[in-house]
Amino acid sequence: MHLVIIVFLYGLVTALATGLGALPFAFVRRLSPRITAQSNAVASGLMLGASFGLVAEGTQYGSWQTIGGGMAGVLFILVTHAILKRYDLEFGGSRGVGARRAVLLMVVMTVHSFAEGVAVGVSFGGGMTLALVIVIAIAVHNIPEGLAISAVMRPQGTSVLGCAMWSVMSSLPQPLMAVPAFLLVDTFARILPYGIGFAAGAMVFMVIEELLPEAYGQDQRHGVAVTVTVTLLAMVIFAQYL
Amino acid sequence: MVVLFYSSLAAGMAAVGVLPLLGRRKLPRHWIGWSNALAGGLMLGVAYALLVSARERVPLSGALGALLGILFVNRTHAASGTSELDLNRLDETSPDYGYKVLLVNAVHSAAEGVAIGAAMAVNLSFGVFTALAIAVHNVPEGTVLAAILTSRSVRLRDAAGLAVATNVSQVLLAIVTFALIAAAPGLMPWALGFAVGSLIYLVLAELLPECYREAGSTSIALVTLVAMGMVALLVSLGPGG
Repeated sequence: MHLVIIVFLYGLVTALATGLGALPFAFVRRLSPRITAQSNAVASGLMLGASFGLVAEGTQYGSWQTIGGGMAGVLFILVTHAILKRYDLEFGGSRGVGARRAVLLMVVMTVHSFAEGVAVGVSFGGGMTLALVIVIAIAVHNIPEGLAISAVMRPQGTSVLGCAMWSVMSSLPQPLMAVPAFLLVDTFARILPYGIGFAAGAMVFMVIEELLPEAYGQDQRHGVAVTVTVTLLAMVIFAQYL
Repeated sequence: MVVLFYSSLAAGMAAVGVLPLLGRRKLPRHWIGWSNALAGGLMLGVAYALLVSARERVPLSGALGALLGILFVNRTHAASGTSELDLNRLDETSPDYGYKVLLVNAVHSAAEGVAIGAAMAVNLSFGVFTALAIAVHNVPEGTVLAAILTSRSVRLRDAAGLAVATNVSQVLLAIVTFALIAAAPGLMPWALGFAVGSLIYLVLAELLPECYREAGSTSIALVTLVAMGMVALLVSLGPGG
């Protein structure tokens, strides 16, 4: 098989793994305000932890580029948010503010997959020896990202299958970006820190602006704080040992 | 000596926090929100620096230390009845509330003291960097505390004194942590983990929930992110990077 097709297929497997993140919600029957708050807290912790890891990686390629990318990421969310506010949205079975938050999250996570796709492609370019290890690592690492998306969408009334589908959708840019990044390693290695910074900035901003206030509104704050802190640390450590 | 100097400097910076209160009776509410967001962002930045700047995997003892840090702050809050205490009320004047605010601030500073001590033990320049970041963060924290105290008709000079006094625990724990690690290097990952866990937990349990009540979530997110970004940038350019 041609090497490009292998890179693409591997990328596809990692995208499909994201859908597994919706699985826990098949076992949660009633969605009380507490579960909504805790879901948002889990999503916040996972995204903050992922961002810590991303920034640590991005600054190895270039500190200023990562920060510059981060600022662009925040600006991007501000603009997207302002545009979304003008429309009465319906998305995945929810309306209004909930639908807007879900769309925004989809946009953020999809953009972040672009950066990850580039990271996969660039690392493949470094040699195929570790390829399988990297693919497994990314596939497993995508599961909590699917969990983060499902944790926000499920309380808004999206079905479990819908959550899984949107999770996979958010990761589709990974295989699409992995191929050009693999073919043009040198070019993409240069834009990688910008992309990583962009993804991290967008995720952290989304967490602090949208998810945390929502979580605090529906549960006691120390309960939220414990969940966010533990998931954040678990995500960082999990990523380190993959 | 270096640990004593820099942690004292950090504690002393809390007094600078009263400056915005000079010549005005009351601080606008959104300023308090932004001060907290600034302090919280800097703390998250420091936690990031402690957690990932070493670029080594977090060992099991580090993870356990982090859990201990979370547990420590969570339990002290619960034991003192301050888990859900709103720390920014300018209109609440009961003596009980005043003491609780001072107590919470002292516990908060203690956790930061562990962070300074552990960072100093990693290496000197990283320790100085951490102490300076905490010092800068003590300024907006001093502002918030002084705003509460002056609204309870405490004089400005005394408010500055109390702001520094609540940070004495920081100096103390910085020295104790540093000395303990020097005596038993095996404690290092425990101390680093404890600092990271308690710092992140403090931001999420104490600082952020209140911010949203004082100012809009967009401005809070921006202030927090700028503060975090600056620490992350500096740590990657400077020590440990």
